[in-house]
Amino acid sequence: MTSHPANALDDIVHQRVRLGILTIAHEARRVEFSYLRDTLGLTAGNLSQHLGVLEAAGLIAIEKGYAGKRARTWVTLTKAGQAALEDEIAQLKLLISRIEPAGTSPS
Amino acid sequence: MTSGAAFSGDDPRQLLSGTRDLIDQVRRTQRATWFPLLVLAVVTFAALPFRSSPHRLGTCAATEAVRVCTAYPPALLVYWPTALVLAYMVIAAFYIRRSRACGVGTRVQPYVVAGIILALAMTGSLVWTLYHPLAFTLAGPGLLPALHSYPFGIGLALVVLAWAERNGALLDLALGYLTLMLVTATVGSVSGHGGLGFLVQLVIPGSVLLLGGIGFFLAQRPWRRAA
Repeated sequence: MTSHPANALDDIVHQRVRLGILTIAHEARRVEFSYLRDTLGLTAGNLSQHLGVLEAAGLIAIEKGYAGKRARTWVTLTKAGQAALEDEIAQLKLLISRIEPAGTSPS
Repeated sequence: MTSGAAFSGDDPRQLLSGTRDLIDQVRRTQRATWFPLLVLAVVTFAALPFRSSPHRLGTCAATEAVRVCTAYPPALLVYWPTALVLAYMVIAAFYIRRSRACGVGTRVQPYVVAGIILALAMTGSLVWTLYHPLAFTLAGPGLLPALHSYPFGIGLALVVLAWAERNGALLDLALGYLTLMLVTATVGSVSGHGGLGFLVQLVIPGSVLLLGGIGFFLAQRPWRRAA
């Protein structure tokens, strides 16, 4: 018996905010904390919590520095993060293909 | 601009659609297509005075059937690679500065590297062709000069920028620009000193770059993005 694709979803990545962070970091290559906060509509504290979870899982790297006198926090995707994101997207597509019969699409 | 509200729900379709929206948003933030187009338009128009300088470089060669001579202004041969390398460095600096201000990384590096390599390679190729005039008989009178023209190299580099920025509109512009260069080169001789060569080599590409730059500026201007 093959397992349902929902069982293959990683709980760390399959969370909309963390999936959003990984998606933006993947596309931007390097993204600043304030851009993530504004784009995802989060508070700084909430974003920090999610970044902490992703960093602890080794999916992102966080780099702190200065631009002039301004403190900046930059986020980059690790190789493990890239693989986790690709896997999540593949699992989501698989789930959708199971939900929808071939040839139909949501209206 | 915030898309947090749109990126909500646990439904796989909503999540996938949300990731696509985020990707589009990041790409729109990263794009500054208007800047390289306007810089390269300035570089192209600034070449106009050099084109009328004395054509001292070149030689003649003959076969039994044909005699071919080449001539090129040394000033233009110095101007183009110097101006293009400087232009690509300015473009890279602009993108990096903008990237720091916006908070997202930039994808300009492949474009800048391709642009500089093309500028230097075209210079080498052009010098070789100037001293091997019979190469012109292989490709026809218009095509080879077009392929060796710096504005053609600018167009090739723009294809790389379109890929790097995932920018379909820029790809359309770059391919249209390259097609225009090839068509005009095969319709009329561009190696002569007459008005048509002058128009084809600098005025037409410069105008396309300028109009493209203005168009992209209007489409990508910050106040439109924030709306």
